[in-house]
Amino acid sequence: MTDPRAPLTLEYADSVGELRLVRQPPPAGSSTCSITYVGPAGWAFDPPGRGGTARLVNQLMTSAAGRLDRVALARVLDRLGATLGHRAAPESGEITIWGPTSEWGRLLALLADVVLRPRFASSDLARARRQIRERQLREIGQPGNRADRELLRAIFPSGHPYSETGFGSPRSVDHVARSDLVRFHRAHYTGGGAVLVATTPVSSREFVRAARRTFRELPTTRPPDFPALSAAPSRPAVRSIPLRGRSQVEIRLGGRSIARSDPAYPAAYLANEVLGGRPLLSRLFQRVRERGGLAYHASSGLEAMRFGGYWFAQAGTGRERWRRVVPMLRDEVRRLGSVSIPSAALATIRESAIGEIPLALESTAEAHELAVDVAYHGLPADYWIQWPDTLRALRAEEIRDAARTALDLRGAATVVAGPVR
Amino acid sequence: MPRPGVPRPATREFRLPNGLSVVLAPLASSPTSSVWVWYRVGSKNEVPGITGASHWVEHMLFEGSPRFPKGAIDRAVVSVGGELNAFTSTDFTAYLTTVPREHLDVPLEIEADRMTRASITEAEVARERTVIHSEREGNENWPEFRVEEELFQLAFRIHPYRWDPLGRREDIERLTADELRQYYHRYYGTRNAVLVVSGGFDPRATAEEIRRKFSGLPASGDDPNVTLVEPPARGERRAELTGPGTTPYLEVGWRAPAIRSPEAPATLLLELVLGGETRLFSASGGWGHGHEHPSSRLYRALVDPGLAVRAVTEWQPRVHPSLFTIQVQASRGVSLDRLEVAVDSVVERLAQRGPTVEEMGEARVKVRRGAALAYEGASRTSFRLGLFSMFGPDGFEDEIFRAILRTSREAVRQRAREIFSTASRVVVRYQPTGGPSGD
Repeated sequence: MTDPRAPLTLEYADSVGELRLVRQPPPAGSSTCSITYVGPAGWAFDPPGRGGTARLVNQLMTSAAGRLDRVALARVLDRLGATLGHRAAPESGEITIWGPTSEWGRLLALLADVVLRPRFASSDLARARRQIRERQLREIGQPGNRADRELLRAIFPSGHPYSETGFGSPRSVDHVARSDLVRFHRAHYTGGGAVLVATTPVSSREFVRAARRTFRELPTTRPPDFPALSAAPSRPAVRSIPLRGRSQVEIRLGGRSIARSDPAYPAAYLANEVLGGRPLLSRLFQRVRERGGLAYHASSGLEAMRFGGYWFAQAGTGRERWRRVVPMLRDEVRRLGSVSIPSAALATIRESAIGEIPLALESTAEAHELAVDVAYHGLPADYWIQWPDTLRALRAEEIRDAARTALDLRGAATVVAGPVR
Repeated sequence: MPRPGVPRPATREFRLPNGLSVVLAPLASSPTSSVWVWYRVGSKNEVPGITGASHWVEHMLFEGSPRFPKGAIDRAVVSVGGELNAFTSTDFTAYLTTVPREHLDVPLEIEADRMTRASITEAEVARERTVIHSEREGNENWPEFRVEEELFQLAFRIHPYRWDPLGRREDIERLTADELRQYYHRYYGTRNAVLVVSGGFDPRATAEEIRRKFSGLPASGDDPNVTLVEPPARGERRAELTGPGTTPYLEVGWRAPAIRSPEAPATLLLELVLGGETRLFSASGGWGHGHEHPSSRLYRALVDPGLAVRAVTEWQPRVHPSLFTIQVQASRGVSLDRLEVAVDSVVERLAQRGPTVEEMGEARVKVRRGAALAYEGASRTSFRLGLFSMFGPDGFEDEIFRAILRTSREAVRQRAREIFSTASRVVVRYQPTGGPSGD
C-alpha cells in the first residue's frame, strides 16, 4: 500500500536559472496536481505613491496572458477543469494552477504563460481598479476588515513594509498606469528569489525538464532588496473606531513578532496554538465563548514571515459585551507569557497539532500548501517529517519564554471597530 | 447503453433495523477517515416562534451529554488531530468529523451518543444564546446577508424558506431550553439520519463497529417532510433597504424548481450559462461559490463594461421549490436603476434566444470536469455522498448528471422563459447611507 504520508517527502529538484524547483508527490489516490510560482513580489515593494501596484499585478496576471484574452483564458481553464489562483502578501506574490493530473503538461505551460507573458490590458486594469476600490471601501466600513487594517497601522510605523494591507488608496490606485504594472512585473516576477513548486506524480527529472522548457525565458535578474524594517519599538495604542449601523464589534489585539526562520518559531507556534490558534481547545475560545458565552468567534494568529511578523488575538461580539472581552484577551496573552502551560494541557495541544498533519494530506491542494510553505521559506526538505519530533522536544518553559517574545503584550495595540459608541 | 455516471468511489450501503442509513466509502490509501451524520432536519421544520431552532440544536450537540460532558467532544476529537464542525441549512443539518484514520472510533462513539442523548440544559442554552446572537450579528454586518434575508422573506409567505436558518432575532431572544429539547427529540433520530463514513478503514470491521454502536438506539425521528406549498406569486415584490455599507447592492430572485424536479437539469445549465458556476458540479471540488467567471454572460454584460464590480447567480439545490437569484454589486457611480435594467436585459435575451451552442458546450464541460474531480479525499467524499443522500434515493447523482448532459438548448431557453417571468420576481435593493463608515 502507498504510504499515505508520501507527500511530505519534498525534493529540492534543481533550478531554471535562478528559479528554484521543488517537487512533491500528490496524496495517494489523487487525480489532481498543483503548481505554484512564488516570488518576491509583495506589496512591500509598491513604488512610492503607487500603493496597490503589487496586488493589481498579481490579480491581472491571472486575467489574460500570451495569446489568451480574459474570456479565452477562462474558457481554456474550464475546458481543462483547472483553476488559476493568485495571492499577494507583504513579501510575496503567488500564482497557482490546479487541475487534473492528466493535463499536467498543459497546466505547467499555462502557468508559465501567466507568469512570463501577462497582458495587462487596459480594459482589465480598469476593471481591477474598480474592484480594488471596492475593497478599499470595505476596509473603511466593514468592522472586521477595518480592525485588521488599523491593527497593522498601530503595530508598525508608517512606511514599514508590514504596516499596510496592499490595497493602496483611491488616489494611489488611480495613479497606477499600465507601464507601472509592466515595470513591476519585469522587476519582481523573475527567477531571482523565486521558487516553482509542483505537487505532481511526475518524476523530478521530468518536472525539471518541463520547467526548463516552459520557464526558460524567465529573467534571471535579482529582485530589489526587501525594504529595511524600522527597528523603532511599537508604542502601546488603543484605537476605537465607531462604525454606525453595524451589529457586531470586532476586536483585535496584537503586536510585532518573530520571523519564520527564528529558532523560537516552533515554540511560538505552539504558544499561539494554546492561546487561540487551535480550534475549540484554545484558551481564548474556551474562556470567551465556551465559558463566557460572549462571542461567536475568539481566536489568535501568528504571522511569521521571512523578515519579521506579528501576532494577533481577536473576537467579534455585541456592542454591550465588547468591554468585557477586551480584558479577557489581554489576560490570556499575559498568562501565556508568565505561567508555564500545565503539562496535560500542553500534551493535548501538541498532539492535536501533530495529529492534524494527515488531514492536510487529504487532497492535492491542501498538501501543496505545505510544500509551498517549506519551499518559500527555504526550510529543510524533511521539515514536516521532523515536525512532530520538533514539537515533542519543546518544554513548557521554552514555550512560555517564546510567548514572551513572540506574543509580547508590551507595545501591543488594541483596536475595536463597529458599534462602539 | 446508458452514459457513464459520475466517477466516484465504490460504496457499501445498508440500513439498520432502527432505520439508520449507513454509507461506507473505503479509500484504501487515505490517511484520514471522515464521519458525517446528515439529518433531514433544517429550518424548513421550524415554525414562527421557534425559527433558528435547528441551528441552535446544532450548537447544543457540541455542549455535552451524560456520556460526553461539556468540552469532552471537542477534546476527544481535537486532541487526536481531528477537525469537527457542523452546519445547518434550510433542508438538513450535518455534523462532520475528520480524524487520522487510526482514530475512526472517536467520531463514531460521539455520533452514536449525541444522536439521541444530548443534554441541552437550561444553563448551556442561556450561555449559548449570546453566542448565537453574536453569530447573527456578525452576519448582519454584511449588507449581502440583510438583502438575502429580506429577499426570501418577500418571496415566501407560507413556506418556511421564508426565514434564514440562523433564525429571527426575536426568536433567538425567547427560545427556551424546553422548546429546543422538544425539537431535538422530535426530529433527531435514526429514521432521519444518514451516517456516511469515508476514508482509510476496513469496511467489514467498520460496518460491524457501526452496528455495535448504533443498533441499540431506538427507532426515532418524526417525519421531517414539509407539505406546505407556497402559492404562486401574483406579481412582482420589492423592497428598498438602506443601511451602512460601501456600494449599492441589488439582488433579484425568481421562483425556481426543487432539485428533484424534472426542470432541475435545465435550471442548473441556466445557472452555468449566466453565472459560470454551479455548486453541485464545481471544478474546484468544494462547495465554494462566487468566483469570477469572465466567460459567463452576466460577467460580460455587467462587470466587463464597468456597471458592476461583482455579479453572480445562485440556485441552491433544495428539497422544495426555491429561488434562482442574481446578486450584483454596483460599480462606483452606477445607479441601481441602471443595474436593474442591465440585469433585465441579460435575462430577457437569454429567455428569447437561449444559450448559444458554444455556451452549452462549455457548461457541459464544466459539469463533466466538476464531476470527475469532485471526490478527492475522505472529507469531500463524505460530504458529497451525504449531500446527495439528502436529495433522493441512491443513484440520484448519476441521474441528474446524465440528465444535464442530455438537456437541449431549447430546454434551457424554455426554462429561462419560465423562470424569468416578472410575475414571480422579487427585487431587493440596498442603498448605503452616509459614507462607508456610516457617518
